[in-house]
Amino acid sequence: MFSRFIKDLKQFGGYTKYAAKSQLKSEVANSYLNWLWWVLDPICFMLIYTFIFGVVFNGKELYFPAFIFVGISMWDFFNRCVKASVKMVRGNKAVVSKVYLPKFILVLIDMMVNGFKMLISFAIVIGMMIFYRVPLHLTILWFFPILFVFILFTFGCCMFLLHYGVYVEDLSNVVNIVLRIVFYMTGIFYDVEKRLPKPYGKYLSRCNPLAYMIGSARNAVLYGRAPSVKLLLVLLLVALLLIYLGLRLVYKNENNYVKVI
Amino acid sequence: MENAEKIENIQYAIKVEDLHIRYKTLKAYSIKKNLLRLKKSEVDEFEAVRGVTFQVPKGEIMGIIGKNGSGKSTMLRAIAGIFSADEGSIDLCGNKVSLLSIGVGFKKQLSGRENILLSGLLLGYTETQVREHMQEIIDFAEIGQFIDMPVRTYSSGMYSKLAFSITAILESDIMLIDEVLSVGDAKFKKKSFNKMKKLISNHDRTVMIVSHDIQTLSDLCETVMWMHDGKIKKIGPADEVLEEYKEFMK
Repeated sequence: MFSRFIKDLKQFGGYTKYAAKSQLKSEVANSYLNWLWWVLDPICFMLIYTFIFGVVFNGKELYFPAFIFVGISMWDFFNRCVKASVKMVRGNKAVVSKVYLPKFILVLIDMMVNGFKMLISFAIVIGMMIFYRVPLHLTILWFFPILFVFILFTFGCCMFLLHYGVYVEDLSNVVNIVLRIVFYMTGIFYDVEKRLPKPYGKYLSRCNPLAYMIGSARNAVLYGRAPSVKLLLVLLLVALLLIYLGLRLVYKNENNYVKVI
Repeated sequence: MENAEKIENIQYAIKVEDLHIRYKTLKAYSIKKNLLRLKKSEVDEFEAVRGVTFQVPKGEIMGIIGKNGSGKSTMLRAIAGIFSADEGSIDLCGNKVSLLSIGVGFKKQLSGRENILLSGLLLGYTETQVREHMQEIIDFAEIGQFIDMPVRTYSSGMYSKLAFSITAILESDIMLIDEVLSVGDAKFKKKSFNKMKKLISNHDRTVMIVSHDIQTLSDLCETVMWMHDGKIKKIGPADEVLEEYKEFMK
């Protein structure tokens, strides 16, 4: 299976890149201001959350807007990818029913598009760090391995949803609800560890991979705290396992998808 | 024994053996429906192709005819690798196969040129291969300066002309054609039909055409396969089979 994955990646890599590029391009094709939305969208949400949770609920995290922004950037990526992969095969019926295409490629294209938007968001984070004079720590280098694990983890989740999304018509409704729960459990706008009553905060931040990854990305970038290597490695293994099982599932069934839709 | 040796001398491009394709239990279900109806839903099974065996020699043009719902398109898609076979096997002997279809993966916001590249890459060609044929495709499509405009501004005729040109110029060893495509105005129709004829009469290329049009098939094909209810009713020289089919359909 691994060799098949590599072979498919090689053969369709060119298409994946070009399709992602043209997806982004066609999003901005209508008006030249459209790319501004990639910037404005997270900024607006950041302002809303900063107001509600910083002012109304009195959130006290240091560099609060930047704290939120890191969370939103990563959450948006995960959220968009997962939501899209549920409807991926159905949405691409025109393509899927005409040519053979490894179905994970569709997810990959979407992840590239969302990944690009995430990168723009991170560029804004850098801007904010300069604005708030966040002291630069070496731990910021931890950000890259964390992001790597985070992306692998997202890919693994998407594989499962890609598969079940074909067979279960209203899966997207369920996924929307689950994502909303996870959103609140992940602490995009609060610190899970500090805000929840004593033992639970720690449990949640350890057991919810997203909370852990987003939390440690914040720690590494903003507060100069390195993540626990052990936990990160465990998460890496979890992500690889998810990808392995998910990919196997998709490979085994992908030629039946077209019969259903 | 002698016979067996003879067969081995012919090079086959497609070997299909005892092919079965079923649409089964695969009805998408919804959680809501399942909760409301606790009884397990019954297994729905429909066999579209029921045990088909045949070979196509390299360079042959084979037509497939049969009434609606006889499994022609399903089989073609299975050969193209879009469906998996439930039983039996399909051996393409290492040939590159493509199902001729129009406008796959087009993005309406992008220019014609970008869509050519996108569609070509999707069909499994490398970027350099597509770029090499780019000018040829543009010339064939005869849409002039529109090539650099977004595809959404095209008239439907221009759209299908461009789409046809991509599939016609980017060639593969085995071509599967589901209904001969006739697009554009009368002039382009003639041109595309001639191009098609030229394309498929290349001796290295193996072609399978699904069509309802007896005239087209007798023009283009050497052998015709007649499918009926998922099985081969008759396979043989074009005129013979088509004559019988005509009788049958009366």
